[in-house]
Amino acid sequence: MLQKLTTAITEMNEKEAVAIAEKLLNNGTEPLEVIEACQKAMEVIGRRFSAGECFIPELILAGDMMKQISEKAEPHLKQDVAVKKHGRVIIATVEGDIHDIGKNIVVSMLDANGFDVLDLGVDVPVAKIVETAKEFKPSVVGLSGLLTLAFDPMKAVVAALEEEGLRKNIKVMIGGGMIDEQVRQYTGADTFGANAMDAVIFAKKWTGGKQNVG
Amino acid sequence: MDWRSTLQLDDLNLPIRLHMKIIGEKINGTLGPVKKAIAERDANFIRFLAQQQIDAGVGWLDIHAGTQADKEIKDLVWLVETVQEMTKVPLCLDSTNPEVLAAALKVIHQPPLINSISGEVERLEHILSLAAEHGCQVIALAMDGRGIPSSVLGRMDVIRNIITETRRCGISDEMIYIDPLILTIATNIDSGMISLQTMRMVKAEYPNVHLTCAISNISFGLPSRSLINSTFLTLAIAAGLDSAILDPLDRYLRKALLASELLLGRDRHCLNYTQAYRSGLFGRSDPIN
Repeated sequence: MLQKLTTAITEMNEKEAVAIAEKLLNNGTEPLEVIEACQKAMEVIGRRFSAGECFIPELILAGDMMKQISEKAEPHLKQDVAVKKHGRVIIATVEGDIHDIGKNIVVSMLDANGFDVLDLGVDVPVAKIVETAKEFKPSVVGLSGLLTLAFDPMKAVVAALEEEGLRKNIKVMIGGGMIDEQVRQYTGADTFGANAMDAVIFAKKWTGGKQNVG
Repeated sequence: MDWRSTLQLDDLNLPIRLHMKIIGEKINGTLGPVKKAIAERDANFIRFLAQQQIDAGVGWLDIHAGTQADKEIKDLVWLVETVQEMTKVPLCLDSTNPEVLAAALKVIHQPPLINSISGEVERLEHILSLAAEHGCQVIALAMDGRGIPSSVLGRMDVIRNIITETRRCGISDEMIYIDPLILTIATNIDSGMISLQTMRMVKAEYPNVHLTCAISNISFGLPSRSLINSTFLTLAIAAGLDSAILDPLDRYLRKALLASELLLGRDRHCLNYTQAYRSGLFGRSDPIN
């Protein structure tokens, strides 16, 4: 059944995937196992995306299936058991920019791949990102921006994290249509990504084997 | 060997009197090779890109200096001077920065198309006065400081505000190209319909205003993009699009353009179409019958 769930997701059968997950949960299957089956599917889809065999609309659909199933699994989770997360990530579209499509895909992909993601939304001031980073203690901060005027706020976020002494524990990744290596250097970010899977790959690399219980 | 197979794309010289005005997008400093050419002041490469697009029948050459704010003025001025030395085809100045536009307008020989304004009040004011002073046509994006409205009606509100402003500045409707903004269909399946409906509404409400858009955004993130782009171009032309920002050397788009104009009755005696066939545009794979 768990294998069938994984397959239903990788084959993009939304109704079937949700129905199987519901059945499993109602039959007393461990909710964590159900979520793991979903994560396995997300890994397959991520690999297919990187290989050019699967496309953005399918990433979005898969993320949506994952979200629906996670919501159904939540009430079944025992209080003291938490889902194992790879690590914590803050995502924001920086001040002055209000584009959110790419950011939202990154958020849903990170979420689906087992990260504890805090999405701060769009047009987020530098101070807000830094304050949130102090409290949430993420391993990764992801900054999004489509416009060229997003470059300076990105640079300001990196500088502010540095100033607050947070930079040694936090990696910064940036993304958006105009972002390239030159922009990465300008902003002082650790890396830039060309698509949502890049974000997952970098975040996984940085959080390494360490599995934080979130 | 079939005579057509010996023809290169560069040899195609369409007798273009297309109804559609094409804005050639290839001189764009955000693209790797162009960025390099600008940095190295490689005028030959820039002129080569210009000539290719002129041969393909563009109405304007878009000139985008790249994204480095500190260099944009110098780079754009250099590009304008480099291109206008070789051609009378008008230029489309691709910048939203009033200072950059003002600097380029000082050296430009003939009134350009300004690409672009939006409903953002501060920039609008400044750029419209430049446009009125220099007799420029202007591309206006259906967005404002709050972003791109997700609905057709939201975009129409922004467009109405912009046209109120352009009229107030004494710019006639024929000088305005509305870009309804094409968002990718991969992340919102309604993106195509929203753009097409906005185009129809603009045409119904402001018959003298032109429509333009950047075609290729629609297909981002999907495979076989040329098929999506050329089909969308056809649908958009039917919805009233009379200008487009695209790669004029893209064979798929050229074919779609020619066939669309033919079918909408804009190609008298089918001359553009038949000439394009003889020039080999349709290739050997499309038989006469």
